[in-house]
Amino acid sequence: MTGISSLYTALSGMRAQSKVLDLTGHNIANAATPGFHRQRAELEAVGNSTPGLFAGSGVRGYGVNVIGVTQSIDVLYEARAVREEAGRSQMALAGSTLAQLQATMPEPSDNGLGSQLDAFWGAWSDLANQPDSAGVRTQLLAKANSLAASLHSTAAEITAIRDSAIVQVAALGTDATGLAAQIATLNRAILVDPDHSLDLKDQRGVLVTELAKLTGAVARPAESGQIDVYIGGRTVVSGANSFALDGTTGTLRWAADGVAVAAPSGDAAALAATLTDLVPRYMTALDNVAAQLVTSVNTLHTAGYDQAGATGHQFFDPTKLTASTIALSTDVAGQPNKIAAGAPVLPGPVAPGPLDGEQARAIALLAGSATGADSQYHSLITNLAVETNVAFQRAELQDQVADSAKQQADSVGGVSIDEEMANLTAAQRGYEASARVLTAVDDMLAFLIEHTGVVGR
Amino acid sequence: MRVTASMMTTNTLRDLNLSLGRLQKTQTQLSTGRQITKASDNPTGTATAMGLRKSLNRADQYSRSLEDAAGWLATADATLTSGLELLARAKELAVAASNSGGISDPNARIAMSTELRSIRTQMLGLANTTQGTRSIFNGTAAGAAYSSTGVYNGNSGTVVRDVAAQDSLAINLTGPQVFGTAGGAVGDMFEVLDRLATAVLAGNDAAIATEHTNLDGATQLMAAATVDTGSRAAKVENIRGRAADEVLRLRDQLSNIEDIDPATAILTEKMQENSYQAALQVAAKILPMTLLDFLR
Repeated sequence: MTGISSLYTALSGMRAQSKVLDLTGHNIANAATPGFHRQRAELEAVGNSTPGLFAGSGVRGYGVNVIGVTQSIDVLYEARAVREEAGRSQMALAGSTLAQLQATMPEPSDNGLGSQLDAFWGAWSDLANQPDSAGVRTQLLAKANSLAASLHSTAAEITAIRDSAIVQVAALGTDATGLAAQIATLNRAILVDPDHSLDLKDQRGVLVTELAKLTGAVARPAESGQIDVYIGGRTVVSGANSFALDGTTGTLRWAADGVAVAAPSGDAAALAATLTDLVPRYMTALDNVAAQLVTSVNTLHTAGYDQAGATGHQFFDPTKLTASTIALSTDVAGQPNKIAAGAPVLPGPVAPGPLDGEQARAIALLAGSATGADSQYHSLITNLAVETNVAFQRAELQDQVADSAKQQADSVGGVSIDEEMANLTAAQRGYEASARVLTAVDDMLAFLIEHTGVVGR
Repeated sequence: MRVTASMMTTNTLRDLNLSLGRLQKTQTQLSTGRQITKASDNPTGTATAMGLRKSLNRADQYSRSLEDAAGWLATADATLTSGLELLARAKELAVAASNSGGISDPNARIAMSTELRSIRTQMLGLANTTQGTRSIFNGTAAGAAYSSTGVYNGNSGTVVRDVAAQDSLAINLTGPQVFGTAGGAVGDMFEVLDRLATAVLAGNDAAIATEHTNLDGATQLMAAATVDTGSRAAKVENIRGRAADEVLRLRDQLSNIEDIDPATAILTEKMQENSYQAALQVAAKILPMTLLDFLR
């Protein structure tokens, strides 16, 4: 029976469509917002829930109700996208660190350590040809000094990479702690009304992705719309509580008890690998090159004789065996005539003639030694090149994987302008149609009220 | 699968970025002229290039040693040739002295004896020939090889030059190897010449005959030394020819690995530029289109 209640049926239609319009407007406005998932209104027809025993055939509906707003979100895809973003961040940082390491030792080049080593051995060969020339001796000392200087500066650059990684770890600790605190705050806000905090949940999702990029964090849903966040199996956010991370010591640690954070991926994992593996490994390799240079030259040099017939001089300082400390020994520094060019005459051994250059020749032949400094340097560069190449390729691959994961998540939760436009048109027409119904009922009621019960007036 | 605007934008951006990245790499190669700008571009190529550079540097070193050796051997050769001429003259004098059957004219004997002494002095001068600052017959000792009285001051050291990979050459001869060992029944060349001059002056036929024989022996020693020096010089020449070829070959290999082929690089750059432009045009057409353009 048409009556006042029909007005309310039409009204419910108008309210529902205007709510849908609202949501469509919200979606379109947030089409480019990062981390936003499109929202849909859930409409339900209002009917007689329990028809009365004697209701007969008068069962009718009472319009439409908006029972809620849902977000289009696929939890599995989202989790995967976050994980792959963390991986992408880690691979990119690892690749760029290796590129920096490689840039400290540029090869192939005419100015790199390889060429300097060649020049050094060449100076020994010149000395073998002209043991009596003061110019050649001075030149040899100069070449040795410049080789040592190059080793120093390369070592310093590698140390600089390590130092900058330490600074980054400290900054990361502060950032991660801040993000965790913000996630905890949002958790508390969402707890107040979990079903109507969709936008807060989106904001929280963005923060979780940021934290994952930094530390490889993983989020798990908890009660009442909250989430718990874990790093390496240990809780960093639980409900409204967050735990602090501290990176000021150069290792990322939990501020509460100082235990090191076991970050599975993200920037933290890349930085930890840099500090505990990459830099020490290549620094040691470079130090080995320097040590091999010092010991191989000194072994031959101490057995050799200088122009005065004295023996036992060290060429390099034997106590300084790292790339950052290698230096000429005080036996020969500034005293080119003390360089031992002559080889011992066997048996004896006794001093050779003052113009003998055989020991210098033997030292020059160290250039081709299979265990010498040159071949160790060669291996270092080749290993570094291969490792860097592999890191770049992995970073590219991870880029593609992360993009594909993001696309899948976007496909479910992203805003399609075309779709929203269609919804908008439908909602608009629906509103207009409901308004029409309202008008029609209104007219009919008006007619009823004004024109019935006036017989005889 | 639903396609959203943000997906399209992300995809387009990423693909444009990749295309631009490739273009940039080609551009860097063209402007530096090198295929390998950093080691990770081509690890095996880098390893090979480093080895080739090393070989080139060492080839430079060898060529310096070769020059030095060639100079030394040329000086030794010239010295020994002059020495042989002097010995030939001394032999003529010895023959003249013995053929005359005891020359009666004392003046002739004095003249021959004086000339023989002069030959000895010249020979001593040749024995002290220097190359640069070193006496070439001195071994590895410093100073002059022979004193003014004919005493050998040097030692038996060898002077060795590295002339190629795993190939070294001794380039010197010591005084005794060329002029004979002093002392003993025969002695060295200077003692022979000395005794010959004395014998000619005294007219001692028997002594002249003995010293004549000894002179032949000394001549043979010097001739052998000359041949030895000549063969070493020939070896050095041989190696120099090979070394020059070797350097060319190494440079060629290095260039193959490190340098770009300009034609290929330019064509690649053109292709990449075209595809980048096409990508930009397509993006410009597709990205702005939505349903809004078509709704009333």
